[in-house]
Amino acid sequence: MVGMENAVPQAYKKPFSKKIYPYLFIMPFALLVFVFFILPAIATVVMAFTDLNASLKPKFVGFSNFAKIFSDYNLPQILWNSAIFAVLSLAFSLIFALIIAIATQYFLKGKVSAVIYRVLWLIPSIIPAVVYVTFWKYVFDPTDEGFLNSLMHDFGITTDPVSWFTKGAMGIVILATIVSTISGGMILLSAAINSIPEDLYKAARVDGASEKSVIFKIILPTLKWPLMYITISELIGFVSSYFFIMLLTNGGPMRDTTTLSLYAYQQAFNLKYYGYGAAVSLIVVLISFVLTLFFLRLFDFDQMIKRSRIED
Amino acid sequence: MSTSTLKKALVHTYMTLFTLPIAAMIVWYFLAATMNFTTGQFSLDNFSFFQEPVQYSGVKLPMIWPIVLNTMMYSILIVIIEACISVPTAYAFSRLDFKGRRSAMKFLFLMRSFPGITLIIATFFILVQMNLVNTYLGVLLVAVTGSLPGRVYIMKGFFDEVPWDIEWAAMVDGCTRFGAFKKVLVPYVLPGIGAIAVFSFLGAYGEWFLFKLLIFNDDMLTLAGYLSKLVTKENQIVNYGLITAIGLFYTLPIVVFYIFTQKIFMKVNLGGAKQV
Repeated sequence: MVGMENAVPQAYKKPFSKKIYPYLFIMPFALLVFVFFILPAIATVVMAFTDLNASLKPKFVGFSNFAKIFSDYNLPQILWNSAIFAVLSLAFSLIFALIIAIATQYFLKGKVSAVIYRVLWLIPSIIPAVVYVTFWKYVFDPTDEGFLNSLMHDFGITTDPVSWFTKGAMGIVILATIVSTISGGMILLSAAINSIPEDLYKAARVDGASEKSVIFKIILPTLKWPLMYITISELIGFVSSYFFIMLLTNGGPMRDTTTLSLYAYQQAFNLKYYGYGAAVSLIVVLISFVLTLFFLRLFDFDQMIKRSRIED
Repeated sequence: MSTSTLKKALVHTYMTLFTLPIAAMIVWYFLAATMNFTTGQFSLDNFSFFQEPVQYSGVKLPMIWPIVLNTMMYSILIVIIEACISVPTAYAFSRLDFKGRRSAMKFLFLMRSFPGITLIIATFFILVQMNLVNTYLGVLLVAVTGSLPGRVYIMKGFFDEVPWDIEWAAMVDGCTRFGAFKKVLVPYVLPGIGAIAVFSFLGAYGEWFLFKLLIFNDDMLTLAGYLSKLVTKENQIVNYGLITAIGLFYTLPIVVFYIFTQKIFMKVNLGGAKQV
């Protein structure tokens, strides 16, 4: 009893083993991220300031790679291609994802046809890219065998096969990209629409609300967050990735479908100008980074981290 | 009620119009693979790649069966590695307090939206330094690192949903923190693990880019890399029959797999939509 009076309440100090405990869990992840993410990121920055090429004897060249980029006569066209590709792909895939999500989850909610539409729309994103592109190559095949050409031939519109890829390569690439990315956004939006309680619609109907106001006053406000999320992730994907372009046209004909990120790849791996490729990559990163920061602000990210509720 | 019927009909019309190209695409794959277009008859000539190595406009590729084996091995390895790394990491991010957690979370978010593909030039050189070019290990490590942030995020969403009470209850009953993780939390998030396994499998099964870049031996390719060699050989495809036949052989298992697992997709994205 006497001891109790003397005892001073001491602040609880975590033993060392408990302190390192969480780090053990993230160790493998941290290691991988360090070697294959942080290290390449640093290396890209370093390489961007060297003239590393096929001879593999890098020399520090300062900002001359960047100076070369801005005086590159291909640059205006490539930037224009990148912008057109990203903006059109994003706009169309968002609009179609929204239309299909609302149609299947609101107008046809719970109907078998809605499931059929959704499953069919998911197919282009499920089937592997290499298989998916063969269809578009077939539709726009420049010979008589191609779908559009044989169709036009049968209807007697033209007799000579049209070489679609030389005329509208960018359009074909965008079309193929849109069709396969719609479903990703559609799933997220469908899930969000699905979480709206049925009573809300009923109440709106009792109050005599039109379909238009149900869509604009009930559904769209719920979709605010998923829409922002889809916007950021798809936009960055479109700015930086070039898989479909590579499979469909490989940047051609000429440089008609070369985006900035594909240009970086070609400079590095086809022409072996690794340093120059890294510098172009760095600019792609910079563009994506600005976009990310912009959307991070919109997200109000700090609110979303929760604290652990066990103190040990 | 006639306006409602009219509306339904309108919606159906639009949806059918939107969906028609995709239905046409599916029909085309089957037709192109199984029909001889010059005679207009059903034939399985295109499937001769089962018995003999493929030769296509100057490309000679090895027999398909070892490639199938490679594909399965690679995909399953990816699934196992990604699950084993992302589950503990997501657990730590969701439920443990440690110094730097907040900044680590921010870093994870940044990394997830970071265009990792732009680092491929430098990654290539790091692999060269580590002597990992033209090995499966190199492809595995790069592929896993690229997709981990997304997997960790999905798993974190699942861990966030677990009520704290059941972890408290387990610890009151004498479990250690790790015991609670192993015996209570992991079983609770099993659907999430299933989900990321499906994603990992689909991703690995379709991976062609890293194989094109990092693997030089044709007999080490997976089916995706194999097909990408044929598809990108010429600007236009000469023999649609052969390519759609291989494509069909390659895609059908994944579509069947998808049909059986598609419920999981909806679940994940629901979780994902709520939790970042």
